[in-house]
Amino acid sequence: MIEFNNLSFGYTSKKLLYKNLSLTINQGRIYGLFGKNGAGKSTLLKNMVGTLFPAEGSILINGMTPQKRQPSFLQTIYYIPEDVFVPSLTIKQYKNLFAPFYPEFNEDNFHTYLNDLEVSVDGKLNKLSFGQQKKFVIAFALACNTKVLLMDEPTNGLDIPSKTQFRKLIASVMFDDRIIFISTHQVRDLENMIDNVIIVDNGDLLLHASVASICNKLCFKTVTEIPVDAKILYEEKALKGTAVVMENIYAEDSKLNLEQLFTGVTENPAIAKQLFSSN
Amino acid sequence: MNNIFELKRFGLLLKKTVMERPVQLVGLCGLVLAATLVIYSALLHFFGWQAWNLAQNLTFAWCFFGGGCFLSSIVFGYFGTNASGSAYLTLPASTFEKWLCGVLIIGVCFPCLFLVFFRLMDASFVMAYHNGLDKNSSTYKAMYNAVQFYTFNDSFVKESITIYVNFVGAMMVGSLYFNKVSAIKTAIVYIGAVAIIFFLNLFLAEATFVNVDMASPFNNIRIKVGNGLGILELPSNVSNIVHVAILFIIPTVLWITAYIRLREKEI
Repeated sequence: MIEFNNLSFGYTSKKLLYKNLSLTINQGRIYGLFGKNGAGKSTLLKNMVGTLFPAEGSILINGMTPQKRQPSFLQTIYYIPEDVFVPSLTIKQYKNLFAPFYPEFNEDNFHTYLNDLEVSVDGKLNKLSFGQQKKFVIAFALACNTKVLLMDEPTNGLDIPSKTQFRKLIASVMFDDRIIFISTHQVRDLENMIDNVIIVDNGDLLLHASVASICNKLCFKTVTEIPVDAKILYEEKALKGTAVVMENIYAEDSKLNLEQLFTGVTENPAIAKQLFSSN
Repeated sequence: MNNIFELKRFGLLLKKTVMERPVQLVGLCGLVLAATLVIYSALLHFFGWQAWNLAQNLTFAWCFFGGGCFLSSIVFGYFGTNASGSAYLTLPASTFEKWLCGVLIIGVCFPCLFLVFFRLMDASFVMAYHNGLDKNSSTYKAMYNAVQFYTFNDSFVKESITIYVNFVGAMMVGSLYFNKVSAIKTAIVYIGAVAIIFFLNLFLAEATFVNVDMASPFNNIRIKVGNGLGILELPSNVSNIVHVAILFIIPTVLWITAYIRLREKEI
């Protein structure tokens, strides 16, 4: 479990990006963290892995404090930054040097993931394309079998087949005591994959809800006429009428549209807070 | 699990540190040793055996702390990019192990390697010189005695080692404060600090005495007296304190600061 207790963070002491953020992340779930560029997604992830320290408040990950950067903590968490770093080593050399730091590392799985993601195994890693390097790091991170996996814009630089393969892999590596936390501004890449949505903007937590809860409270549909009495989170002119995200007054079943949800929540945070205030 | 030090984990970290950047670490060591050989040979070639001791001293001093400074600026040089900095900080090893790994490379491995190489190189040149002398020459004995093996326990070497531990400590700290081109930025800060100390000392000396010729910080003040020079030295008890500070306290503070900075490093 990850607990944020009144977390405040700022790059300067005068201007805080996050102020008194409290949040609980539960095990066995895949979280999608969404926000515009500069919204503070990467900052939140860096606080979780201990490369940035809170100004006030605390973060606890499975009872451990990230900023201490203790080996017992670091071997249970893997963080993939947006721009990955690979040294001038072959895959075998990299595995031999880095895998021993992760006691749960599984070599068979590692090769399977490399194969699934079609990572070229010849030559030095730093000579691979950015997309190949990223896929290699994703494969290694998954094979480490850490309890917490944090990914910052993991689909940046991946081609369309790789994105599909990435989604399949993530779904396959999920187990009960694992937390997968994916930050992105490319909301469509995570559709049908995540089971919890977190939306942040300018350091504010605008939404934290499960997909089931979102679909319970909101209805995603196209209407010819916008209902007057419903709370509308988002509307957009479409070919066959108006695409809306609105309060689910009649308990209708609809499919989550992350892009519309994200735009609606960031443009109408007050309505979103009203609708999800019970969370 | 011990969160401060485990021998197995430290071994893995040391292996990873060297193998991950062999060109930077091993390559730089090789380059320093090659430069040592070239500079030593060149000085002997241009100045002859009369300048042998000068060649030994210059080569030793410049290559030892020059190489050490470059090495210490790259031993923690992971913070040039966000990605490599994150990868280093989140590697499951303790901050103490990461610091110790750097200290071992620049405080033990490099000096040992350099000293052994220097001894072998110097001994080879000196022996070649001795063997090349004409034993029947009248100047044989004088020429033989003029060139000797470099002694590692004279005051020049001790001063070089003092400078080494100070410079290397400063470079280590600098590489943890400046993420990019840390060697140059640290050198600028270091030279700036030395210049400020020097001129402040000179200013204070001129405010206190007349006809000041030169004021060396923490050492002595030379005063012009007629055509001659008078030297005012620090009292021995103060001089001892300064000596201990430069030899032990400042390097210790710098090397410990590197550990504290690494523990608190954010990227």
